Amino acid sequence: MIDTLLQTLLNGAASGGVYALVALGYTLIFSVLGVINFAQGALFSLGGYLTYLLLGGKIGVNGALPGWGLPIGLPLWLALLLAALGSGAVGLLVERVAFAPLRRRGAEPLLSLITSLGAGVVLVNLLQLLMGAEGYAFPQAAAGLAKLPESLLLGGARIRTIQVLLLAISALAVASLSLWLERSRSGKAMRAVAEDPTTATLLGINSVAVVRLAFLLSGMLAGLGGGLIGMSVSLAGPYFGISYGLKGLAVLVLGGLGSVPGAIVGGLVMGLAEALIPSEASGWRDALAFAILFAVLVLRPSGLLGRRQLEKV
Amino acid sequence: MLRSGGLSPTDPLVARRRGSARLAAAVAGALALLAFLGRSSDPAAQRLNPEAPLTLGAALALTGNANLYGQDQRMGIGLAQGWLQGQPHPRRVALQREDGASDEPSAIAAFNLLIRRGVIALIGPTLSQQAFAADPIAQRQGVPVVAPSNTAKGIPQIGSFISRVSAQSSVIAPLSIDEALRREPATRRVAVFFAQDDAYSTAETAIFQKVLAARGLKPVSIQRTQLADNDFQNPITAALQQRPQLVVISAQAVDGGNLIRQLRELGYRGQIVVGNGLNTPNIYPICQRWCNGVLIAQAYSPELNTPVNLAFRRLFAEANQGRTPGQIAAQAWTAYQVVFEAIQRVQKRGGFEGLTLGEARQQLMKELLSGRYDTPLGPIRFRPDGEVVQGRFYVAEVRMDATGRNGRFNLVREQELPEGTP
Amino acid sequence: MIDNGLLVQMILGALLGLSVYLPMAAGQLSLATPAFYAVGGTLAALLSTQGGAQSAISLWSVLGEMLLAAGLTAGLALLVGLPVLRLRGIYLAIATIALVEIVRVAILNLPFTGGAAGIFGIPQPFQQPFGYVLFSGGVLAVCGWLFQRLEASRLGRSMAAIRDDELASRCMGIHTTRVKLTAFVASAVLAGITGVIAAHYLNTWNARQGSFDVAITTLAFVILGGSRNWLGPVIGGLLLTALPELLRPVGDLRLVLFGLVILLGPVFFPQGLITPALLERLGRWKP
Repeated sequence: MIDTLLQTLLNGAASGGVYALVALGYTLIFSVLGVINFAQGALFSLGGYLTYLLLGGKIGVNGALPGWGLPIGLPLWLALLLAALGSGAVGLLVERVAFAPLRRRGAEPLLSLITSLGAGVVLVNLLQLLMGAEGYAFPQAAAGLAKLPESLLLGGARIRTIQVLLLAISALAVASLSLWLERSRSGKAMRAVAEDPTTATLLGINSVAVVRLAFLLSGMLAGLGGGLIGMSVSLAGPYFGISYGLKGLAVLVLGGLGSVPGAIVGGLVMGLAEALIPSEASGWRDALAFAILFAVLVLRPSGLLGRRQLEKV
Repeated sequence: MLRSGGLSPTDPLVARRRGSARLAAAVAGALALLAFLGRSSDPAAQRLNPEAPLTLGAALALTGNANLYGQDQRMGIGLAQGWLQGQPHPRRVALQREDGASDEPSAIAAFNLLIRRGVIALIGPTLSQQAFAADPIAQRQGVPVVAPSNTAKGIPQIGSFISRVSAQSSVIAPLSIDEALRREPATRRVAVFFAQDDAYSTAETAIFQKVLAARGLKPVSIQRTQLADNDFQNPITAALQQRPQLVVISAQAVDGGNLIRQLRELGYRGQIVVGNGLNTPNIYPICQRWCNGVLIAQAYSPELNTPVNLAFRRLFAEANQGRTPGQIAAQAWTAYQVVFEAIQRVQKRGGFEGLTLGEARQQLMKELLSGRYDTPLGPIRFRPDGEVVQGRFYVAEVRMDATGRNGRFNLVREQELPEGTP
Repeated sequence: MIDNGLLVQMILGALLGLSVYLPMAAGQLSLATPAFYAVGGTLAALLSTQGGAQSAISLWSVLGEMLLAAGLTAGLALLVGLPVLRLRGIYLAIATIALVEIVRVAILNLPFTGGAAGIFGIPQPFQQPFGYVLFSGGVLAVCGWLFQRLEASRLGRSMAAIRDDELASRCMGIHTTRVKLTAFVASAVLAGITGVIAAHYLNTWNARQGSFDVAITTLAFVILGGSRNWLGPVIGGLLLTALPELLRPVGDLRLVLFGLVILLGPVFFPQGLITPALLERLGRWKP
């Protein structure tokens, strides 16, 4: 049935958009450093909570400062932006604490896997201490979404309006990022470092600054993603970011580590693949993502759009 | 002495090997010492000190993703303690809390810690899944356990020391379905959602489906979700294609709340019945104004007009900015109350005189099972196997206020069940 | 205070640390340990609850389960190892993470493994934790002895060579694939038999016992303890398993502190606690 197919496509696109956002965060850092930042999921959660507070939400009874909140709520676009910046700033902090010392010492790059995970654990649990584990719904009025219809009917298939918004904003963020990488000076510098760090330094590019920029941007992406997710499904404890983080890994590999268009395509493909699973087998959905991941790694490690890694002899 | 290969003793490799052998010996020694120090100095054989207070242990999920329930339970127990201690009582009772987290090893560790500290009884753990792991340990050591809200099948049957104040889901679940069918007798098409990676929800949905079958309804769609899911576009659109008139959900607060909200946003207008995992005000922030009209069967209603429940409501409101208590907190209060009152009864008739801790625990268990209690849940007592017997159950409908931020479980039906119904 | 129950979990942690250490000693970062741990535990849970509820089981049966688990995990590891071990570095790590998740979901969804509730009422070979302490301590001692001999053996030295420079080792005639596969299979077997012990100790077993979190914690054992000598993961496993329990009095800050340990450990002790230099000093020390 065309209806079912369209609905499936729509479902796939909706979740795929978020996956792409998460994968992009990983991609940026991987492309310049060659390591995975396991604190990414925690930054996702942070972005969600920051957006909530910036919209004027109050801390609940289980938090450290019950009832505290900002005196006024900011408009949605501003809250998202500031929350993203906040997450980006914390991302920079993570770089300073979990990555830089190891790089300076020339330690094995895989060690930063561990330290970034530790950073993630610390961050998530600090969030828990501060905000408590209860659910937080974004203040309705500030979101200004109450006036829109709850769901849209597109040719026989239904999609929640907020998902469309999510998709639109993610697409905008991704497009801006791609444009920036393509056109701007610092974007080109980042691509240069990703290609070959030594040559880039020889050409006068400050690779330390580029690395920091990568962390800032990736933190901002995570923060934005968390805020968007919070809008769509409300916040339910700081752990929600972690599961997105894990799925994002699968997308990252599928699209090709280090490839920006790969992250986008990978996200959409993953979303679609999951939407195609019949409901009887929905328990296997998580396994699908990782089975894809496994198969890609074994058959074509460079992923869909990644560059083939040549073994330097 | 030269080693193999003719290497000199000061060669780094040999030195390292010797060093690791020495370190290994040191570690082995340390482990042996710890094993010796940590062997069960089981306090069960000690005589009770008549002057000292008896200690209750509470092992609750204070961290991890079950801590929403654990925090409610901590609240309930704390309020009960305050209220009961304020009345004259012959034996002092102290309370020790340990974090059982949300996984089995932590629950086991919490139980072990409390038992070693010489508690006379345990309250907890929070999750049914944890109970299956930790309760056998309490049973083996002869420590009474009163579970505030483990509702899976088979828990009191773990042993003679295991009991619970939370009625089994098979008793409560049918009530909400019946209420929904009473409101819309023409219902034919039912869709079922359940969190398939949650032990509790999987058991509960089996009961829901059995009830539906008994009413002649076969689900047109059964969707399996995961606890960690929060986006249900896929299963919802698949289910809605079958045009259900009634949706039955077995999940926990967060995923269930999101499911309800998204069902409504995607245009579903029929009735929604939910299970015990959503039996908490924690769903309000998640499904907000979309929670309206959801039906749930409960073992507790805040509207019960007994002195103990009025006191519970008052104390809860004072501690929580005027909010109404939910079932989890009420059951936790009840668990504490039951043990406390049993202790006082035994003390009054001198039943603890000259006993060791182990014997006192046995006495307490016997008394616990034979008593009747007037609790916020209503009047309850126990079956010999530790299962609670509760006469009255409730069906509630969620009603949200105008802002969509606060709501209440509105009592719509009270049901007396004849005692002895399994 | 460390009671015997915690001690058992510490020893199991040490065994899992050793399991993660083996592939690393051959230069492979494999996080597959929880998958084989889960397989071993599930096997034990299924076998011992076959005949209906019993509360006790003989030690010989448990040893039999361990033998079967060893066989099963070895077979799985061989099957999976051949394609996977061609990968390097981060790719291998991610592939093994994927394996862990696939196994977890499989155990969750297969009809006979108990689903979400898992399998409970697993019979006990020992009535007291002390019995488990002796048994698992014995297993650890045997492993320690084997590992100590491994470092001096040909296999051990081949592994160290591959770790330093795989290409050069191959040129020197070391069968790198065979060595790496041996390490991977041995690691799987160790994880499997640890799973058997754990299933009996915990009384119940479900899919969540072998999850991504376990992969990370066991890796932390090795990273913190030290990845250059087998005592590193043992000590790392003992300490890091005890740490959250010892930090109980701190309450809510517990997990924050645990995260800090994982975050700062590699920064301040990049080679871990048990470095070769330390061992050398210990070896030369004359009392």
